[in-house]
Amino acid sequence: MMRKALLLAACFAALAISGCSKDSGSNDSGSNVTNTEYPEQVFWGDTHLHTNNSVDAFGFGNRLDAEAALRFARGEEVTATKGEKAKLSRPLDFLVIADHSDAIGATKAIYEAPRIALLGDKFLLRWYDMMHESEEGSLRVTAELIDGAAQGTLPAVLTDPEQQKERTSDLWISHGKTVEQYNEPGKFTAFMGFEYTPMPQGDNLHRVVMYRDGPDKTDKTLPFGALASQDPEKLWAYMDAYEKDTGGKILAIPHNSNVSNGRMFAMSKFDGSPIDTAYIKTRALREPIVEVTQIKGDSEAHPFLSPNDEFASFGVAGWDKCNLSCTRDMAPDSYGGSYVREALKRGLELTVALGSNPFKFGMIGSTDSHTSLATADENSFFGKHSANEANVKDRALSPQNLGTRKGRFGWHYLSSGYAAVWATSNTREAIFDAMMRREVYATTGPRMQVRFFGGFDFTEADTSDLVKTGYGKGVPMGGDLTAKAMGPNGKAPTFLVSALMDPESANLDRIQIIKGWVNANGKSQEKVYNVSWSSPDSRTVGADGKLAAVGNTVDLTKGTWENNIGAPELTAWWQDPDFDAKQNAFYYVRVLEIPTPTWPIYDALKFGLTLPDDVIKIQQERAYSSPIWYMPAAATS
Amino acid sequence: MKLLKEPLVHFLGGALLVFGFFWATGTNRDPADYEITIGETDIKRLKTGWVQNFRRAPTQAELNGLIDQEIKEEIYYREALRLGLDRNDPLIRRRLFTKMRFLDNQEASDDNPSDAVLQKWLDDHPEKYAQSSLYDLEQVYLGQSPATDKQSISTILDGLNQGTIEPNAIQQAISLPAQLNQTDSFKIALQFGETFAAGLSAIPTGQWQGPIQSGFGQHLVKITAKTPGKAAVLDSVRQAVTNDWRAAQTARLEEAAFNNYRSQYDIKVADRE
Repeated sequence: MMRKALLLAACFAALAISGCSKDSGSNDSGSNVTNTEYPEQVFWGDTHLHTNNSVDAFGFGNRLDAEAALRFARGEEVTATKGEKAKLSRPLDFLVIADHSDAIGATKAIYEAPRIALLGDKFLLRWYDMMHESEEGSLRVTAELIDGAAQGTLPAVLTDPEQQKERTSDLWISHGKTVEQYNEPGKFTAFMGFEYTPMPQGDNLHRVVMYRDGPDKTDKTLPFGALASQDPEKLWAYMDAYEKDTGGKILAIPHNSNVSNGRMFAMSKFDGSPIDTAYIKTRALREPIVEVTQIKGDSEAHPFLSPNDEFASFGVAGWDKCNLSCTRDMAPDSYGGSYVREALKRGLELTVALGSNPFKFGMIGSTDSHTSLATADENSFFGKHSANEANVKDRALSPQNLGTRKGRFGWHYLSSGYAAVWATSNTREAIFDAMMRREVYATTGPRMQVRFFGGFDFTEADTSDLVKTGYGKGVPMGGDLTAKAMGPNGKAPTFLVSALMDPESANLDRIQIIKGWVNANGKSQEKVYNVSWSSPDSRTVGADGKLAAVGNTVDLTKGTWENNIGAPELTAWWQDPDFDAKQNAFYYVRVLEIPTPTWPIYDALKFGLTLPDDVIKIQQERAYSSPIWYMPAAATS
Repeated sequence: MKLLKEPLVHFLGGALLVFGFFWATGTNRDPADYEITIGETDIKRLKTGWVQNFRRAPTQAELNGLIDQEIKEEIYYREALRLGLDRNDPLIRRRLFTKMRFLDNQEASDDNPSDAVLQKWLDDHPEKYAQSSLYDLEQVYLGQSPATDKQSISTILDGLNQGTIEPNAIQQAISLPAQLNQTDSFKIALQFGETFAAGLSAIPTGQWQGPIQSGFGQHLVKITAKTPGKAAVLDSVRQAVTNDWRAAQTARLEEAAFNNYRSQYDIKVADRE
């Protein structure tokens, strides 16, 4: 017994820092799943989930591993770190576990290491003791970690790739094995991935990176860290090398541009030099989609940039004053590089100026949950991290580790979002390929079904068989309209769009098409068109171009709403009334639900809280489609 | 941090903890008890730690300092154990608790359960893997809150059943399939909502029935064929069964290990039977 215990202890210690994993077997079974002719079904997933292997997630208290995360996403009940039972109302179809590559598994390793092993390292020993002492201590460690990462002051033992390599390698291989065990082609897709987390001075340049491949290929690489380089071009070089070395495929998904201080979609490279054609081509290839909405706010639009859009403020409050770690304030003149609509417009300007577009991306949502629980439901919000799980009474009003001195509180965090993918089967290959062709959309949580097709020959009658005609005569979301397809007569493009409500959620208010274009002076413009809405007989567009609001049925004393306003489905045929065949343009769809309560309302009812006036209590959840782009003949390459 | 891989460290630590009590009582004092040896392995470890922090080897003076520090620490450590300072310290308690749980978890994993084991698991939890009922059905969407009263609904149902009303004639536009073939109730619930799937299980086959409520509103439904759910064959659910079995196994072993310890204790709690 003693001998066994000692062996185990030795193994335990080794595992904490390096690893005792056994075989690294990969069983790429080769799926027998049949692909449909065209994408018939939308698949729901989260591409951005953290488990206890993320340094901050573990520090925040998360004790659920990748297996628990996968089980939860598949619809199994699990017990959250804080003891509450958690189960998705409906399972997800796919999941990307995206733990921070930097110091992956490190807080867990420090925590689990024998204390005596850390005696020589005052820095780690202090953290070790703080983490063991109390939950508050653990939270302080995590705050210091994020701060240290932002300031570049972390100790070498956490930052030196050489010192990390052995532990990372063992962890990565054993993680691959777990992911493979839960990947079931046709039923549930588990992706390998990680988060690349550069944040120079706290400016968020984070990307989720996901592989199309299983461990047979991913075992040959290690996740790329921001400690190796904060320059995203180095990440793209890593991705190139991965594809060359293994024959696999890989893509990157920027997120939280809202706290990037204007740097996520900057018109210059990381080092400040101007964007060139090589940069544009690489970026467009490597980053086909962007995560536009998640727990840490919504990055679609900002009222400062889009003063005529009355719905531009969703998920902005609390996130637009300072960058991720709140080490730097963000002035409105930085917003252009922080919000997605503006980035799409910049992309058009660059297309005109340089001939190609670095910001030609589709849109998805994901959670960025650090609790191992991929949930975006308002009525069962499990919080950004484990210190804020569902049974923490004061979480809506309490200050947060990131940015409370600038007025960022618990209630600013959104219970958002999910990625919707129009794919031909529920497999790694089909879902990944759909992301590459941008046939995806974002939602803030509800699972509404959104279709969007562009072409030059759609007629109003085509809405009756929208999907078939859409694919037959046009391109789906994420696609291109070319002058060649337009023909010589220069007619304006037509669009077919439909949105079917989530049968477990709220009715729909309206469908909007958001157009961006570049005028003759090379300056980008935008306009929001209402193309379909509920109760069209009683709701009209006013002199100011605004459609009358849908109304509000939310009962704040019960946390309920009525589906007696809005519509279960909206459909439209639309032709651009302001089309100019010489102008580069994009079109994307925004679908709004009728007003529903936000998660703090459910917390207030559950815990008997009184919410201050400034807390946002009612919102209109939404979906954002990937754009369809139009390029005039001269610019078509 | 190579030190972590030193079994000697763990041996020292473990032995000290286990026997610390006896030593601390002062009886049977072993002369070795007051003997401290800094061996070559220890020195190597100290050097490695230094290199990791400072990126260079320690000078002789620095190394001597490290060794003296090590000796001082070891003496204080032993004296602390003699005084029982390890007791009633929440930090140490938590730490030992974590370690014990970790050790117990190590016994769990059997990565390759036999077919017999998996089949037994499947037989014990048939409902979890059973294929849910398969439906062939037609549905007509009446709208979210149709004005039709009970009377007119039953007229419409009669008309549909007698063939005098065409489903298309009363169908409200919505992009849901008018027909489902061999679709399981789980998928139907995802597409139409839970209430609709539940509603289906309550109506007879072969005739237009309804209205059935879905997340979208009201439907009339004709189930043309219903294949009742059946137990799954291991081969078709092997992956899920293996995963679930493993997860349950881990939980069970952890519980068993704890119960094993617990059974040795006589536990009394005030006001608890």
